[in-house]
Amino acid sequence: MGNYFKSKISLISFLFIPIVYFWDPNWLEFLGVQPYWPLFWLLPWSMTYGSFNGSIIGLFLGLILDSLSINSSLTQIPGLVLCGIWFGKFSISNNFVGHFRFGLICSIASFFCGSLYFFQILIKYWSDYTIFLYLPSIKNIFAQVFITGLLAPLFCSLLFRLFQASKGRDKLI
Amino acid sequence: MLDIRRISTNRWWNKKNNWGLFIFLLFLFFVRISKGSLYKDFYYLISKPFWPGQFQREVLTKSVEQEFLIRLKQLEKDNKRLREILSLQRSSDSESISANVISRKNGSFWRQIILNKGAKDGVEIGNFVVGPGGLLGRVDNTSLFTSTVKLLTSPESKVGVWVERIQMHGLLVGSGNDYPKVIFYNKDIDIKVGDFVLSSPASTLLPPNIPIGIIQSVDEGFKAKKTANILLSGKPQAIDWVQILKVEI
Repeated sequence: MGNYFKSKISLISFLFIPIVYFWDPNWLEFLGVQPYWPLFWLLPWSMTYGSFNGSIIGLFLGLILDSLSINSSLTQIPGLVLCGIWFGKFSISNNFVGHFRFGLICSIASFFCGSLYFFQILIKYWSDYTIFLYLPSIKNIFAQVFITGLLAPLFCSLLFRLFQASKGRDKLI
Repeated sequence: MLDIRRISTNRWWNKKNNWGLFIFLLFLFFVRISKGSLYKDFYYLISKPFWPGQFQREVLTKSVEQEFLIRLKQLEKDNKRLREILSLQRSSDSESISANVISRKNGSFWRQIILNKGAKDGVEIGNFVVGPGGLLGRVDNTSLFTSTVKLLTSPESKVGVWVERIQMHGLLVGSGNDYPKVIFYNKDIDIKVGDFVLSSPASTLLPPNIPIGIIQSVDEGFKAKKTANILLSGKPQAIDWVQILKVEI
């Protein structure tokens, strides 16, 4: 039972991403903005299983998160797929990514995903009053970049170790 | 014979992992199509023991007083007007459902709350949600046990409002922060800081005269428009109990 649990830890932890997304603990927010949770899972997973698998899981994550948010015509899929591909390029063997570099990578990815989402809002709701969205959105993006980068070393390191341990036992894809 | 067997075992549908992936993908598409209702109902069940208690009144008293003040002023005016007319055209028949906020996304671009009442309890898409202080938003989708509310602060939210003092209509648009904007399509109107903003009597989505907020600051006119920042009287970041109102408009 213990072995089975360990081998499926990546899948089990994946199912909890939407729960964290709903829970959204306010004691982890900065300027009212939460970290971009899916990146904490996607980075270690893509590093463990590679770019292709990273892009597939990015697609899955995007599908789930899109279905949970009310902005039905906007999507998080492109950002997460591209991040999945990018994260997969980081090799494990040359130890390029230290624990604190997780933070830097997640910050850049959070900026990329946030900007991509913001551009979708601008394109979809383009009118005279979209000018009101600029300042709050820039504040939201940078607050998210900061808090994501701050918490990434903690969550990513933990998940990275779990995925490394479970990789030998089973492959998800 | 061996070749055929080898080819047969190499087909993708004969691989256990691929079937697992296929079923997982189907599951994800089901989640997408059902707007995550399965997840929301699952979250409803596991979060049930942690729902907030009923001891929030101290925090919310200020908002309630503000709401009552706006309501009182509006009722006085309505009363006076109706007495003049002498016949009431139509009475609104409202039914309310009390609900608990079980999830709150109140930062960044995603501004929504999830309530613990859903289609099972008679909540429908388009019902509007009020909390202590005033209007919070509208129900955007429902699952069996939950309903998701698009807040007034969401960048996708647009609501017709009016300022009761000068009786001018405007459009309330969410700007992705806690202070939505009202756009008035008249540069010369006399709006002042402190004016009450209510839902518009001309709105086809909301019942009239629900308190929304107070004008916090007024921007200079631009292109025959004037804009104002609104301080919402209902605080979605602090409210744990709300009313879902089903009203015939």
